[in-house]
Amino acid sequence: MSKSSVKGVTIQGVTCAVPRKQLDNQSFLDRFDEKTIADVAKLTGVLSRHVAEPGQTAGDLCFAAAEKLLADLQWAPESVDALIFVSQTPDQRMPATACILHGRLGLSPQCQAFDVGLGCSGYVYGTWLVAALMAAGLKRVLLLAGDTSTQMLDPDDRGTAMLFGDAGSATAFEYDEHAPQTYFDLGTDGTGAQLLTVPAGGYRLCGPVSPRDNTLHMDGSAVFGFTISTVPVLIKNVLEQASLTISDINIFALHQANRFILQHIVKKLKIPADALPINIEQFGNTSSASIPLLFCTNAADQMKSAPTTLLMAGFGVGLSWGAAVFKDVRLQCASVIEV
Amino acid sequence: MQEFYSGLAEILEVEPETITPDFKLDEEQWDSMAIISCVALIDEVYGQLVSGSALVECKIVADIQNLVSKSA
Repeated sequence: MSKSSVKGVTIQGVTCAVPRKQLDNQSFLDRFDEKTIADVAKLTGVLSRHVAEPGQTAGDLCFAAAEKLLADLQWAPESVDALIFVSQTPDQRMPATACILHGRLGLSPQCQAFDVGLGCSGYVYGTWLVAALMAAGLKRVLLLAGDTSTQMLDPDDRGTAMLFGDAGSATAFEYDEHAPQTYFDLGTDGTGAQLLTVPAGGYRLCGPVSPRDNTLHMDGSAVFGFTISTVPVLIKNVLEQASLTISDINIFALHQANRFILQHIVKKLKIPADALPINIEQFGNTSSASIPLLFCTNAADQMKSAPTTLLMAGFGVGLSWGAAVFKDVRLQCASVIEV
Repeated sequence: MQEFYSGLAEILEVEPETITPDFKLDEEQWDSMAIISCVALIDEVYGQLVSGSALVECKIVADIQNLVSKSA
């Protein structure tokens, strides 16, 4: 795994935006019987999720989140040095959604903007890129991470149809020379690339494709095996790198893959349950937005009120994973809006 | 073994005393969710990782136990 650390990175504020439309588990009764729905909910923990309207994009959700965040922090748009958009459901095939968002937000021509195509691990990778940009001299960076995964689901696939939700996020990072070191551990196993995939939409499958090729395919048990073999080691390694132990961490912000996985990790690493917040029951698996969504919900009070030692970890599609440890995080704002 | 049997009974939604090495894993109960749960159970009880695809092939409880002792 690639280990690194960067000094001076601070998280100033986070805003998330979710679609107004909400679906509870009863909405799936036209496709699945009650027992199937109950069994899936027992494993995943998902009771409800926000679902984008057709044409409502991850870019739209991130735009709403970023607009509010800039206003809450009183950041002038021209003060932003870079915008990174992390998603697997971009607005268009071209241009990069980051460029579209740059225009919508009225950012400066001196601001760089680019997309990163990662999902479950995407927020941590985005955070690492922010840190690398700051090490290179940038001062203010917006990380926008979001997905509208519900738009690519096969409604008859019980393994995925009820698991995902849609959300967008905006996180404001600022360089502060006095801020402590941030530690990262990132990795990839491309031999598992086909375990979580949407086959169509790129240039591998040309011409007309079957509707199934446009939907998400997941080998649930293989992805689960990957998670329980990789994530506990990842967490131990990044803690060791930061010279911390489990009890030093106030918040373990883990990608909300499914509740069963999270509870398994809690047991395996003996993490106090209240240090590892779970909000999947309300939002489903929101892919790249799940970690910032924790900052704006269950972890918001802690992160706004006191300096927080934070461990974040994302893992999944790719297969790709990453973890980061931030010390002394104190958010000026953290909220969720519906759009 | 007791811990594994009672965990397995919970996964298969049967009474714990019915689980024996000869217990048959019928297709209806031994579905993808049961298999994921069993991967986690084996990790918890034995600290071993078995693959879901190997578990799919198991027909009776003894087959699972063989997998566990093989990967030990």
